[in-house]
Amino acid sequence: MPNEIALLDNYLIVGALLFGIGMIGFLSRRNMIVMFLSLEIMLQGVSISLVAWSRFHNDFGGQMLVIFIIAVAACEAALALAIVLTLFARRGKLDVVDWQLLREANQPLFQEEALPETPAEQEEPLPHLAPAGVEPHVSTEETDYRPGV
Amino acid sequence: MTDPHHILTLTTLLGALGMWLMLPRGTARGRGVGILLASIALGLGASQVPRLGDWLADSVFLILAATTVVSAAAAVTFRNPLYCAIWFGQSLVGTAGLFFFTGAQFLAVATVVVYAGAILVTFLFVLMLAQPEGKAPYDRVSWEALVSAVTGMVIVGVLSMTIGRVFSPAVPPLHPLVPPTAEVLAAGILTPQHVARLGGELFGRHLIAVEVVGVLFLVALVGAAAIVAHQKTD
Repeated sequence: MPNEIALLDNYLIVGALLFGIGMIGFLSRRNMIVMFLSLEIMLQGVSISLVAWSRFHNDFGGQMLVIFIIAVAACEAALALAIVLTLFARRGKLDVVDWQLLREANQPLFQEEALPETPAEQEEPLPHLAPAGVEPHVSTEETDYRPGV
Repeated sequence: MTDPHHILTLTTLLGALGMWLMLPRGTARGRGVGILLASIALGLGASQVPRLGDWLADSVFLILAATTVVSAAAAVTFRNPLYCAIWFGQSLVGTAGLFFFTGAQFLAVATVVVYAGAILVTFLFVLMLAQPEGKAPYDRVSWEALVSAVTGMVIVGVLSMTIGRVFSPAVPPLHPLVPPTAEVLAAGILTPQHVARLGGELFGRHLIAVEVVGVLFLVALVGAAAIVAHQKTD
């Protein structure tokens, strides 16, 4: 059996790290989907802490809370994706800066700075699978019976 | 510099600087340095956490924790949202491993099935629908990357110092932590009938909460349908 207090401390620190990383992403990223992923990372951090406390107190209550977190996260994902799709249909972009009209009254406008176009900054293409296998042989008999093939 | 205060403060600063350099800022300059700084911070932090007392348990835990944290950082900092989603999936697998390690078997399976299987796939679906070409200009510039990196990492540093009781090791805690013994755990949370006990608890003590969650699912379903339908009639 591992040292229980050390286990609790380690899990709480990992949970705090996940929470902080998710918060950084939520505050700084502009893509709505990535903001949502960051939110889910924060929820993961909380879940890890709850499971650690559940073990330390020898009680299923923490694990129950995590089950409800997962359920609520599923609802939240459905609603948020519906909203994101609606916003995307209005503007054609997933950028939250497009919706800064909704900011508070005394907040400054976010000014888009021109992106420096460097050659290193060019898009790297997504990886493709190498083509494999051979073209299947279709007999003439079959094409005669099924001309649509 | 062997004082834990100093090491943890240094770790926090290095982590904040590394996260800032890794976040998209319009240029790719300094990303390598950022990854190096963040790795050093992670290693320093890992050297400060208490050991579990068994080298096998320690190494399994450290591998799982490193997978989770590194993938989460990658999910937050990659420019291409597709890669963000895939790294988030790996972070979920690490989390599921951590759940297994602490004996929460059902939650580990549920995390993989519900999060990675349903929620993440829905994210990827929307991403493919909305932004099939991958990177967009707004993925290359963040809001206030330095401020958010410092804020997040300072919160992590303060939380870790509090958890590690670095601030006041001389003052005894008000309620000292009493760890459970192996026998108590084996009869309780680590019982062989884990899922049976969990289900009994869920549908016994928390039955009303389960019903409420069912209603919440229905409301979310109707709400999502209403939002999308409203958009169509506009």
